Order: sequence, then structure tokens, then C-alpha cells
Amino acid sequence: MRFMMLMIPLGYETAPPDVQLDPERVAAMMRYNEQLQDAGVLITLDGLHPPSMGARVSFATGEPLVTDGPFAEAKEVLGGYWMIEVASRAEAIAWAKKCPASANEVIEIRQVQEMTDFSPDVQEAAAGFAELQKGSRARR
Amino acid sequence: MRFMVIVKANRDTEAGQMPSTDMLAAMGKFNEEMAKAGVIEAGEGLHPTVKGARVKYASGAAGVTRGPFKLTSDLIAGFWLIKTASLDEAISWMKRAPFEPGAEIEIRQVFAVEDFGEALTPELREQEERTRAYAAKK
Repeated sequence: MRFMMLMIPLGYETAPPDVQLDPERVAAMMRYNEQLQDAGVLITLDGLHPPSMGARVSFATGEPLVTDGPFAEAKEVLGGYWMIEVASRAEAIAWAKKCPASANEVIEIRQVQEMTDFSPDVQEAAAGFAELQKGSRARR
Repeated sequence: MRFMVIVKANRDTEAGQMPSTDMLAAMGKFNEEMAKAGVIEAGEGLHPTVKGARVKYASGAAGVTRGPFKLTSDLIAGFWLIKTASLDEAISWMKRAPFEPGAEIEIRQVFAVEDFGEALTPELREQEERTRAYAAKK
């Protein structure tokens, strides 16, 4: 089963565009990343720039409406994520507990949807998506 | 530049309601356009928070809370990773996404190795490259 571990650093919703990272924290996180890798559970991982550098597109009226960040109403935002392959949700939780996170951080664990989770109709409508991704990656 | 496009959860996604075949077909076409343009890296949907958990580190020890979580505009239902030359280009792609009224997405730039500056020492950079190379092989 694939899970996303969503890193939610409280306070990141108001971080400036040039947010500075603490080298010690980066090093501790890298050690954790390496543990995930050594255990063979890591698929991919990324960190995100603060929302003050981002944008939102809302389709509330059917027409796309663009708002530049930061987003006043956001109470929690994503700071980054890991995608892991484990046997169960409990195993995903066990990995999240090992993360050298700070007191202001929360990790949300969410199961990734697989084609086999859906009805045959849905699988047929979405057929070819995995191939598209592979093709696109190959061209990068 | 790489961007993560976060698709926000709503009552339907949290209820586990799956998109209609028409919606899937429209999204499939949109994904195909992005793939042909070499823009899309990845895209996934997430099961509702009822199947998820949160881990908090406030007390030093990790405390686990099981889902479901309160529905706010901060909850996530899925994401794309895309590669474009600018935020504006990412926005213009996403304006074409065939979402139904009420949908909202957030576009966030992904950190590249050079963004970390001196905090990422040569050793850490090497470790990062090793980790990614290994993960890419999976």
C-alpha cells in the first residue's frame, strides 16, 4: 500500500518567501530520509516553498479565479511530503512517529488511491494514466 | 521549476464519493494534454481522512489521532506534480483543469536542491542525490 506522509508545520502558513532553514534540522531530516530509504519504503519526497510564493485557483463559480498567496484563511498548510510503500496504515504511522519533527509539526498520513480500489467503470475511464506519467517522466 | 498542485478536499471527497465517468474522462484528457506537453510528473488521489491518521509531536512524544478530520479548506484530496517555467505557466495550465464548480486547488513551488543554500552541506547534498536515485529505481 502507498501512503503519503503530509508534513504540516504550524506557522508555515505565514512564512516569508525567503524562509530560512536550520542546517541542523535539515541534517536530522536527511538522516530520517536515509532510514526510510535503507528500509526500502521510500518512493519519493519533496519540500514546498511557503504559500506566500504560491497561488490558489478556485472554481467556485465554474470560472477559474486566481488568488496569490499567502492565504489569510489558511490555518494549516503543507510544508512537504514523503510517499512511502508499506504493508499497512499501522506501519505508516510507526514510520511517522520516528520522524525528528518539532513541537509545531503534524504529520498527516493518507492512503494513496490505487486503480484496484475502484469499480471497473472507473478503471476503464482512467485507463492509461500510469502510462502517461511514465511517458512524461521519460521525456524530462 | 517544479510545482505541487494540491487539490482541496470537500464534502464529496471526504464522503468517499468517487468522480463520475464523465469527470474522469475530462480529467483523463487534461492529464493527457499535460503529459504530451511534458508538464506532468505525477498525480495521485488520496483516500478520505476517515482512512488516515495524524501524528503530533507537541509533547516530545508522538501522539496519534485517527481520522476523520474536521473538514476545512486545508484538507487535501489529491495532487499533481508538474514542471513548468514559471508560476504563471503553472496557473495557466491549471485554469484549464475541468473542475466542477466549488473545486479549489493550491499551487506551491517545490524546493530544489539549490534553494537550501549552505544549510545543505556537500555531504547532505550527496545523501539527497543517493536517496532520490534509490527512490527513482523503486
